[in-house]
Amino acid sequence: MYRYIIRRLIAMPLLLLGIVSIAFLLTHFTKGDPLISIIGERQMDNPIVIAAARARWGLDRSLPEQYLIYVGNLLTGDLGTSFQTKQGVAKDLLQRLPATLELVTAAMLVGCLLGVTLGVVAAHYRDRAADHLARLLALIGSSLPVFWSGLILLFVFWYTLRILPSPGRLDTRSTAPPFVTGFYTIDSVVAGNFAVFAESIWHLILPACVLGWAVMGIISRLVRASMLDVLNQDYILAARAKGASEPRVLVNHALRNALIPTLTIVGFSFAYLITGAVLSEKIFSWPGMGSYAVDAARNLDYPAIMGVTIVGGTAFLLTNLVTDIAYAFVDPRIRFR
Amino acid sequence: MKKGMMNTVRSRCVATTTRRALLLAAPVFASLAGASGLLPASAQAADTPLVIARAMDINSLDPARTWCDTCQIYVSNVYESLIGLGPDNKTLMPRLATKWESNADQTQFTFHLDPDAVFSDGSPVEAKDVKWSWERLHNIKGGPSFMMDGVKSIEAPDAHTVVATMEAPNSEFLGILTAPYTGAVNSDVAIANGANANADADKSDTSEPWFMANSAGSGPYVLADYKADDELRFKANPNYKRSKVGISEIVVKNTKDAVAQAQLLESGAADIAMQIDPDTAKTIKSDSVAIEMVPSYNFVYVAVSPGAKGNTVKLTKEVRQAIGYALDYNGTVEFTVAGQGKLQAAPIPNGFPGTDGLPTPTQDIAKAKELLEKAGLGNGFEINAEFPNMNVYGVDLSLLMQKVQQDLAQVNIKVGLTPLEFSVWRTHVRGDGIPLTAVFYAPDYFGSAQYIQYFAMTEGTPWWKRAGGEHDATITNAKEGDLLKQALAAPEAEKDKFFHDIAMEMINDRVIIPLVSPDVVLAHAKSVKGVRYSACCNLPLDEITRE
Repeated sequence: MYRYIIRRLIAMPLLLLGIVSIAFLLTHFTKGDPLISIIGERQMDNPIVIAAARARWGLDRSLPEQYLIYVGNLLTGDLGTSFQTKQGVAKDLLQRLPATLELVTAAMLVGCLLGVTLGVVAAHYRDRAADHLARLLALIGSSLPVFWSGLILLFVFWYTLRILPSPGRLDTRSTAPPFVTGFYTIDSVVAGNFAVFAESIWHLILPACVLGWAVMGIISRLVRASMLDVLNQDYILAARAKGASEPRVLVNHALRNALIPTLTIVGFSFAYLITGAVLSEKIFSWPGMGSYAVDAARNLDYPAIMGVTIVGGTAFLLTNLVTDIAYAFVDPRIRFR
Repeated sequence: MKKGMMNTVRSRCVATTTRRALLLAAPVFASLAGASGLLPASAQAADTPLVIARAMDINSLDPARTWCDTCQIYVSNVYESLIGLGPDNKTLMPRLATKWESNADQTQFTFHLDPDAVFSDGSPVEAKDVKWSWERLHNIKGGPSFMMDGVKSIEAPDAHTVVATMEAPNSEFLGILTAPYTGAVNSDVAIANGANANADADKSDTSEPWFMANSAGSGPYVLADYKADDELRFKANPNYKRSKVGISEIVVKNTKDAVAQAQLLESGAADIAMQIDPDTAKTIKSDSVAIEMVPSYNFVYVAVSPGAKGNTVKLTKEVRQAIGYALDYNGTVEFTVAGQGKLQAAPIPNGFPGTDGLPTPTQDIAKAKELLEKAGLGNGFEINAEFPNMNVYGVDLSLLMQKVQQDLAQVNIKVGLTPLEFSVWRTHVRGDGIPLTAVFYAPDYFGSAQYIQYFAMTEGTPWWKRAGGEHDATITNAKEGDLLKQALAAPEAEKDKFFHDIAMEMINDRVIIPLVSPDVVLAHAKSVKGVRYSACCNLPLDEITRE
């Protein structure tokens, strides 16, 4: 297994180089001019100002030159400097990634817990009211676009009922805790600021539920289908015949086996949410990677676009690897070659 | 131990653990209650920050590089300029300079600095700082560097006197100095952090990352924190003495659209929103929110480019004038901003020097058809309109261009609409040109010359190039350039006449056709006072107070 993991890890830089090259070409072949967001519209016809800005940001060099410089810097861990924030893209990403990870982790918790529970319940009460209800919830969750459900739930629970907070990681007037991990829930505890801890949890509820709902839909349907397969197996009959309680049969005997295909989806969902939380981050004013990516794309901030692409690509590659490894732990029959 | 005893001990342990957990969680629940607004307002902190909800378009916090609407708010409140603009948006007010004078031909300006003025670190504001800041502004070659165009030299004969000498008469130089980008920077602090004002500052100055996290000005506020795409936080400058700062902490919260801004305002999560369009403003029902519509100096215009490669016919002056007559100006104001806007005759905002008595733009379909007949285009023609796909100052440019399309259809001009991302639009307009487009403009200071230098059909202006002036001599209107020179050399009492004549020439050119000057919607909590729109600085924060 270790050889397999090492082989996969060795292949990762090559795959990343491919991702970087394609992303570099695509971003630089767009017809827009990034200088407009750097120097503003007023000076865009001033050749002296244009020349100075091009030279400063290395845009006066040929595309192959820019590519070689970028890849060379990348090898030293330098992701370049953002046109917009004027600081290193790596630093930008380190500041934003925790916000996204905090949201995605909370969403995955909501999605997995509810998804697995609903899937088990639906399978156990097959074709009965509980099953129909669980399937309906799953259908709605996986069908509704996140931007729509996000806006509606925000309107209902924040704007109309005022029982959940406004968009953002904290209340608009609050100050973020000192940066330690970038997770406000952790940093606030480290700082001993329980008010901010509570606020950060409070603000996580709605976006995590919206994102988690979408994941829950997929997971519960998959768990239900797998559980139905497993529940028909002879060993389940044997467990019941031995007198095992129904919860024990469901959780210990059936669910463990039913979870194997679900793991793949959980892994993919995590990577998908990290790279795909764009809309929900915009709707919930969540200053994470998604929000950063949108702004980077709008302003043609080449280094930032490349940085987000690299992180997204790495997230996909790593989650694929982790999922494959997790298979082996869940199902000992699986061996790697 | 018997099983029953074990159960009793276990349940006691559970009970004890539960009680402990509840005790430990108590502050968390209390905080949750506070966070959710369940606690009375009096129990929450009294001195809470003031929140401004707006779409942050910040491209830099370095006063020599920054260029955007939010940047105006930031720079004007952190880096004090020598001259301010009064509440009437016309009167020049002393700020760092307590008085100033110019020579008779408007080529030399002398400023006397306030000897008591200090930077936020307590060090005195000196003439050397002003000289350094202006030279750096020019040499950085950034967005606002044109403010120092035409300045021949800047001298600091003593610690409190600055003398600026122009290459040519420039009666608007004092007005330019109200633009916040000209504010004084603490040169010692900035130099220590990589800044310089040398001729090669565009290459050698490395201070921008420092400016993104720190400030070194003498304005009423200092930069407390900036998180791009999240928030910009100001704290009152403890060393600021020029006026009493009413709010100790102000947060600009990045809120992308008008509806979200209105909702934050209504919910009490924000105190001020300035980018709400009139239609959204009408949906605000809260009694605690005050809404005021005030005329602005911003305007949205269509531009006709005779030199664009995509033209199907020659857009002569006659054809351009026909387009001008075919447009329904009043209808456009109604359609785009629900009547909350003003008509504007020339590409110089209403109320600026030279705009008094300009003819009100009106639709005249018969005249438009007559002009087209005369140009041999009685059967009309097709024209492609590319424009930025954005909502600006409450005007949705897509909606605006649909109205233009309808209007021009009445004189058989078929308009094809192509919305573009702003950066792509910019490349097109500088490249092959765009036959018909719609864009916007906001002032940088009170003064008309900036509009002529940008819109007039004199050689070298941005719109002269975009209209095709480099390839088509008929586009050039040299008279406008001559009149501008006279306006800039004229004494204060006479310059309006020259600007008026230039405005008439620009109306006659019909390359830039203003359609609407949308009102600014000032929406804020009723408890917040002193919110006003400033032509140079957008929102003066030091005038804001809270009851």
